[in-house]
Amino acid sequence: MTAAIATLVIGVVLGYLGQRSRMCFVGGIRDFILVRDTYLLRGLIAFGLTAWLAFPLFGLLSGSRPGPFASSDAITVLLTVIGGFGVGYFSTLANGCPFRQHVLAAQGVRSSIAYLAGFLAGAVIFHSVIERLVLRFLP
Amino acid sequence: MACHARDLLNWTINRAAGTHLTVAPASLVFPVLTVIGVLLGALLASTTSKEFRWSSPDNSLKTFIYGALVMNSALLAGGCSIRLLLRSAAGELLGLMGFGGMVAGVILGTFWLRWRATQ
Repeated sequence: MTAAIATLVIGVVLGYLGQRSRMCFVGGIRDFILVRDTYLLRGLIAFGLTAWLAFPLFGLLSGSRPGPFASSDAITVLLTVIGGFGVGYFSTLANGCPFRQHVLAAQGVRSSIAYLAGFLAGAVIFHSVIERLVLRFLP
Repeated sequence: MACHARDLLNWTINRAAGTHLTVAPASLVFPVLTVIGVLLGALLASTTSKEFRWSSPDNSLKTFIYGALVMNSALLAGGCSIRLLLRSAAGELLGLMGFGGMVAGVILGTFWLRWRATQ
């Protein structure tokens, strides 16, 4: 229940700031390559740096540390890299990362609302088809 | 964003149909509500700044398919763009590799968009 309330409050703050700043993680890299605009890229770097500083800080405060490097065999690494590549590639084609699409959908952009519908449909497809295929072909 | 949307959807399906779809430990009792929070916050910001406007700049069927593809890739990688960045920031090597893959994907996608625009 605490997780639900915390994520709801943080989500409202993030959504408000994301709408005002047009924050987009994929768009930062895309804008830099296309027009050398660093506005969104600086947001991405600031986000990463803050998280990099905050994780050890809160780890110290709460007495827990981020786990050691995950025990990564070759197939997990391969799946993660392929998945990450797909996230980047298809997000670029869709004109924005998932966070930006949520913000756009709340601004009344109909194609982004369709994107969110596809997002949820994709979760159903993943759990009913893709996950089983991957599990079957893994040793 | 991807994992939390998945949690919310799967929790709702589990509750409604009595199934046992995958849900993260944090949202076993009650799902995380990041998706709803972001939508509410962005709606608040867009209405107070009078930027709310119904429009459709892209083909809806195309973005629907892109959404499904992004969700599948994200669940395969174990996180969308935000979570991959957070995992890298937490010092996880696997997350860093996923983030590297994402940057490569964005670069390739951008060059593809530019190539298609110049044809």
